[in-house]
Formats: sequence, C-alpha cells, structure tokens
Amino acid sequence: MTTPTSTAPEIDATSVTEAPEAVGRSPGQLMWLRFRRDRTGVISAAIVIFFFLVAILAPVISMVYGKDPYTLYGQDRPGLLNDFGYAMAPNGGISSEFWFGIEPNLGRDVFMQLVYGIRTSLLIAVVATILTTLIGIVVGIIAGYAGGKTDFFIGRIIDLMLSFPQVLFIIAFTPVVDQLLVPSNEETPVWLRAVTLTILLTVFGWAGLARLLRGQVLSMREREFVEAAKVTGASPARIVFKELLPNLWTPILIQSTLLLPALVTAEAALSFLGVGMGEQVPDWGRMFLRATQVYQNDITYLIFPGVALLIFVIAFNLLGDSVRDAFDPKIKR
Amino acid sequence: MNHRKRSALAVVAAASLALVGACAPGNAGAPSSAPASAGASSAPAAAYKPPTITLGTAADSKGPAIPPEGVVKGGTVTMIDRDDFSHFDPAQIYVNTEANFALLISRGLTGYKRIAKGDYKLVGDLATDAGTPSDGGKTWTFTLKDGVKWQDGSPITSGDVKWSVERMFAPFITFGPQYVQQWLTDTDYKKAYPGPYGGKELDNIETPDDKTIVFKFKAPHADAGYAFAMAGYNIVPKAKDTKEKYDKEPVSSGPYIIKSHVVDKSLELARNPNWDANTDPIRGAYPDVWKMEFGQEATQITDRFVADAGPDQTAFTFYANTPAERLQQVLGDASLADRRLISPSPYGNYYYFNLDRVKDQKIRQAINYAWPAKQIQQALGGPQAVALPTTILNENTTVGYKPYDLFGKTAKPEGDIEKAKQLLAESSNPHPTIVYAYNNLPTQEPVTLVIKNALEKAGIKVVAKSLDRKTYYDSISQTKNEFDLYWGGWGADWPSGSTVMPVIFGPISDGGQNMSHLNDPTITAEMKKISENPDINAANEAWMNLDKQIQETITPVVVAENRIATMLHGSKVGGAEIDPQQWIVSPNTIFVKQ
Repeated sequence: MTTPTSTAPEIDATSVTEAPEAVGRSPGQLMWLRFRRDRTGVISAAIVIFFFLVAILAPVISMVYGKDPYTLYGQDRPGLLNDFGYAMAPNGGISSEFWFGIEPNLGRDVFMQLVYGIRTSLLIAVVATILTTLIGIVVGIIAGYAGGKTDFFIGRIIDLMLSFPQVLFIIAFTPVVDQLLVPSNEETPVWLRAVTLTILLTVFGWAGLARLLRGQVLSMREREFVEAAKVTGASPARIVFKELLPNLWTPILIQSTLLLPALVTAEAALSFLGVGMGEQVPDWGRMFLRATQVYQNDITYLIFPGVALLIFVIAFNLLGDSVRDAFDPKIKR
Repeated sequence: MNHRKRSALAVVAAASLALVGACAPGNAGAPSSAPASAGASSAPAAAYKPPTITLGTAADSKGPAIPPEGVVKGGTVTMIDRDDFSHFDPAQIYVNTEANFALLISRGLTGYKRIAKGDYKLVGDLATDAGTPSDGGKTWTFTLKDGVKWQDGSPITSGDVKWSVERMFAPFITFGPQYVQQWLTDTDYKKAYPGPYGGKELDNIETPDDKTIVFKFKAPHADAGYAFAMAGYNIVPKAKDTKEKYDKEPVSSGPYIIKSHVVDKSLELARNPNWDANTDPIRGAYPDVWKMEFGQEATQITDRFVADAGPDQTAFTFYANTPAERLQQVLGDASLADRRLISPSPYGNYYYFNLDRVKDQKIRQAINYAWPAKQIQQALGGPQAVALPTTILNENTTVGYKPYDLFGKTAKPEGDIEKAKQLLAESSNPHPTIVYAYNNLPTQEPVTLVIKNALEKAGIKVVAKSLDRKTYYDSISQTKNEFDLYWGGWGADWPSGSTVMPVIFGPISDGGQNMSHLNDPTITAEMKKISENPDINAANEAWMNLDKQIQETITPVVVAENRIATMLHGSKVGGAEIDPQQWIVSPNTIFVKQ
C-alpha cells in the first residue's frame, strides 16, 4: 500500500475521493481502506483467520498438546469415566491434561476433536464454496448474457434446484452412493464420503448465486459500456470477462463469504442427521448429535462444539457484512 | 457501529461468558475398573439372579393366581407404550408385546404361573395340568378345566382347542409359531395340511370327549407343555372364527374384553363377566379398567414417570426402556428406587463368524480373546445398561443354566491382547483381515470403533462395513455374503436350548438363522438326539454341555453383550415386574394402589 492512511484518518471513506489532495486509488484500495476502519470486520476477520490457522496447524497443536483425536483415553485409562460412561471430573472432565474435557462413553479428547473437527468442516465447506461459486458464476453469466431460450431453460433448472428438498435428498442419496461405489466387502473410504458431501452440497448450492448474477448481468447487458464494446467488435468472451465480470466481483465475494458459514452449518447438520463423516473422523456435527443425547449429564460437552460453531458462523457472517459495507458504502443500514 | 452488529457481538460475548461461567458438576461414580460398587446412590449392587422355571403340578394349576403383596382390586390402570399391537388373532402372535397383551384377552392350554419374584412354574391354564406325555413323549394328553367359558358364556371345549391348532395351517396365518404344526405333520407343514376351512380335519389331534384333547406327534417332544404356553397357541372359538377378520375382532376367553380400539392411538379394556378367577392360576386381573396409550417415545415415557404427575401415577409401560442417556439420572435418583424394574434381556446375541470365510479356529479364538467386551459395555452406557454373558444360551431362558468362561472374560473383560497375539502367531495367518459388517445405527458407530481399535491392537486388520439398517438382516443372512463377522440375535421361545441351538446352528439357507454357517455332523446328530430325549431335565443339561462343546471345538461366535432393561412405573401402580422370559412388564400382577 502506497498511501499512508494517516493522511485522512478522520474523514469518511466516501469523501476521501473528493478531497483536493486526492491520490488515485483503485476500488480495491478503497475497499481495503474502508474495511480497516470497520472494527467489527477486523475482529471477525481475525477470528476467521484464527480458525483457519487452527485447522491448518492441527497436527502441530496435537504434537504440542501431546494428544491425538483418535485414542480412546477414557477407555484405556481407568478413573476417567464412570460406569455410565460419563466423565468423573467436574465440567465434563476438564483438567490440566484434558483442556476441554473428555467425550462421554468413548473417552476421546474433546479439544483435539474440536481442533480436527474444524478441518473436516472447513475443508468440505471451502471446497464446496469454491465449486459453488465457480458454477454459479458460469451459469449465471451465461443465462444473463445469452438470454432467450438459454435463459429460460437455465432459469427452470435453477427453479428446480431451489425448490428441491435438499436435506432429504442428501440423506436418501448418500447410502446409495456408498452402495454403488464401494465393493460389498470394503469399508466406505473417508475421502469418498467427503467427496460425496462436497458434490451434493455444491449441486444444491449454486442455484442461488447463479440467479443473483443472472439478474446483475441482465441489468448490465444493455448498458452503454457493453454496447460500446459490442460496437467495437469485441468477442462475447471479452465482453464477459473484461466488461461484465469486473462489475460482478462485489456480489460474488459477498455471496461466497456468506455461503461458507452456511455450508459449515449444513455439513454439521448433515452429520447431526447421520449422513456426515463416520465415527472415526472428528466432526462438529456428530459431536452435537452426541451432546444433545447426553446433555442432562454432561452439559459441558454440548457447550464446546456449540460455542465454537456459534463464534465461527457469527464471525464469518459479520465478515461478510463488513466486506459488503466496504465494497458498497452507499448502502446505509 | 450499527445496531445489528452490536447485538450480534453481544451474542458472541454472552456465549463466551456462558463458556467461562458454565460449571457442570462431575459425574460421581466408582472408577470404571470396579463395576460392583457403582455410583453414590445408583442401582443396588446385588447381582442379578436369573429366574427359576420349574414344572408345576395339577394342584399348582388350580386358580386363583397368587396375589402380589398388598394387592388391591379395582381401579383404572394406564399403559403407555410406543407401538400399538398389530395382531389380536392368537395364531398371528409371535412378538413379545403382542403376546403380553394376549394374556389379558385370551388363554391357552398351559402358561407360566408366578410363585414369587423370579420363581415361575409351568402350569395348566385351560388344562388341569401342564400335559401328560405317553408313548415316550410322542403322545400328549390335556384335560380342560370345568367352568372355563368364552365371553358370551358358552363353554370352551376340546373342539375349540383342536380347531385353534388346525387353523394355524391355513394360508392366511403367517406370523405365529410353527413348532406344534411341524411336530404334527412335517417341516413344510403348510403343504401337509391346508387347514380346517375346507372341512378336512387333522387325524393326529383327537378329542375323545368335550374335555379331553390328545396330540400325537411324529417324534418324542418332552417340552410340548412349554410349546403350548406360547401365546401363539392360545385358543380361538370354532363357532365364532371369522378367519382374517378375527385379527381385528377377537373373542375373549381371558379376563378382559376390548371395549374400544383406535389404531396407533388408544385401547380400552373392560372386564369379561364370564371369566372366572377360580379357574385361572396365572392372571390376577386386578384393575377393573385398562387404558392404553400408544405413540409415545421411550424418552418421553421415562420423563413422564420420573415426573410422576397426576394421571401418570397410575400408569406403567409394557416395553418402554429407559434410553441409555437417561440411565444415570434414573438409576442415580434414590427416590425412584421402588419404581424401577431391571432385567437383562432373555435374548442370545452373538457376533457370528462366517465359517465359510474365517476358516481357522485359532483366528476365531484369538478374536474372542482380544474382544473388547468391557469397552463395548462402556460405549453403550456401562454395566447398568449392558451385561457381559459368556455362554451361547441365555441365563434367563435356560432351565438348568450353568455358566462357563472359555476366553477369560471374567478376569479380563477388556480383552487379552497378548493371548490373542500368541494364538494368531500359531494360526495360518498372523495378520488376518476381518470384514466386520454392522448395522448403520447411531449406537453401532461407537461400538464399531471400539471393536476396530481393540482388534487392531492384536494385529488384526478390521474392515468396518456399514450396512443400511433396512437391509441389514437380509444382507447378513445371505449364505454367500462377503463378511467375516456380524451381529445377530435370537430369542428362545421357551426356557430350553431346544428353541435356540437347532435354530442358530440348524439348516443353512438364505434368510435363515444359521448365520455362522456351522455345519458339523457331530453337532447336528447331537442336537437331534437331545431334542428327542424324553427326559426334559437330562435334555436341559445336555444343551448346556453342548453350548460349551460348540464354543470349545468350533468357536462359531463371539458372545455379544446383553442389554439390561430399566423401566419405571407410576407411584400408584403395584405389582409391576418384568417377566424375565418375555422381557416385558407382565400384566398378571398389576394393580392400582388406592
């Protein structure tokens, strides 16, 4: 960044451009400037980055902490769980050794489950978000730019996807995938379940973004700069990529930052409903499921995944809001 | 900062506060290594005593039933459960809830009389005694009591009994038991005789007079008296048999008549004026009115009984078990102590080896040694939720039960990895791969993880294959399945190995019950010999010996954990007890305290 922010620290972002000693700034720079002044946004961004770091550094954390998410500590070591399978120490077994307590019955370390659980959730959600966004962009622009029959046809597919009962479909379809692709005497590989979930979440996720972008493209298609490009003989590809797409980055970025937390929750919800990852893979949704069954005896076990998911989703949503505000300061809420 | 953000941040802050401030008490309880002394105020530590079931005499068969302590007659009792009964026609009844309900509205030749808690006798119900065998156990004679009547006042005759057995051959009867029909004719009994509706009778059921009925079997069956105690052999009036429709409108021979029935919702019973308590040694029938509610989930029912509010005080449940997650609460509450009923299941549950695939007995033994019984118990809710038997036959349903422990499970319930490794080293493959198929239920996932974990410590690679819950049983009962190890269960129909062993180690067929595919001529011959032994006590002892012999010489199964039912009832219900054979609260002793 070439411009020192101290030159106009107190002035509202929009008025910066009107200031007499204005320096030329790109929209990106302006956005960054506005974003940095938004305290909520910066804090949310920090939280989000923290979650990503935890996910990436999970093996390091595990090494430093000295535990892994797979060992059944409570079962291997007597004195941790009582006869009913609940932690004997208060607060779900929180101790200097098990920072967040231990899981009821199986006795795994809750902290490690949480840390590795972020990986599962984030990996699936990030990949699904990227795929969803890509498909949404392509389909949306094609529908909007081509118009006519193509638009009508794609529009109906979008309608269909949006009205589809996706959760029910995923619950019904996942076992079918396993049946089709996994030989009858083989275990369902973890990656297959992850890929299935990602694909299914993508398939049902792109329609919203596509419809939004189609609307944007429709409104821009007849604008002067597009007309001008057409007159000068620009190819459709050039028009799409050089004229239309740069104007669409704002909605795309906002949509995808809001999509990611939605997908994290969706993945957790599917695990909660029993079609997520298997028992051997740490997963927030499954932690929830177990926690709701045992909360009367071990409320602590419900609090950790609950609060973690809450913070993450709220932080990401607030980040999405801040990004939108930074891109589009005219919207006053 | 605008309002929306501020409130959102407040939520985050509140949540973090909750995190810091949350303080959950520890879960008291002895270390898991000492299962005998569980929890501060939890269930009594007394070991469970399996019931004794003996053969009663003619004197035992006289009514009325022995009343439970403090009995009061009259009042209205409520029964709450999840599922309605699908069948009222006795011939269609096999399920324990339906058989239990049948006690209220129908009677059979024999039945189980409660002498005291955990002490039962097989006695004559409609018959004057539990049957008289002759011709080395091939011929069985029953004499009906005087004064036994249908709900319309007409007498119950031997013709009705004969008719009731004959109609079980009819094509529309598909659910009931099959033992007596097969003994009378052939294994494929429906081909041998089409049922009485065409006018044809079965020659080997004789009725010399209105009170006497004689069954002539093809081979000796020392336990025929027990077979007739199954609710499936309860009687149906010849004059009022409406065939298929009888399933909806049964004629009562028992103490109550169905007054109203709204399917899946409610059912009400009123007294049968023509039932005489003096002819019935089994049924107390103390309440005047029975009301039943269906469609309640187990968690709900448990919570209602814990709260014990208003009308729920006079309520109980046939079959709604306390779910594992409520167990600590229910067992830990001292005030519930006199309203708790506890009984391990009467079913035999096994992890079957597929003998066609796991051919080396050393490997099967090694898995038995390494088996993490204790960890599975822990995953399913601890020693109060799950017992760890070591025999094929179940203690609740085996007369003359003798425990044995071949694989050191009493000393090392967590599994003996060293011993397993040693056996594997001697076997054909020290690092075998075992395909373990499991039912894709939420409770099975942790169990699978525990099994996998333990066997892998012994050097066995476990491929955990999740099967869809709808098709689980179909998949594992295919004879050509591709799995090595899978869970299955079977319950005895009366307290004898003769309804277990010849079934689970019997004929191998697709969809059949012999899921280990054990086919050993010595064992088969031995089972046939014991089945036809006219001395029932010698037979029972022989079954127990065969149990051990099979595990020693073949090891076709890992004996699985056995669920323990914990049920509650309202504070004004008296005489509630779990029938250890049917694993359900018996209606015979229920009364309402005033």
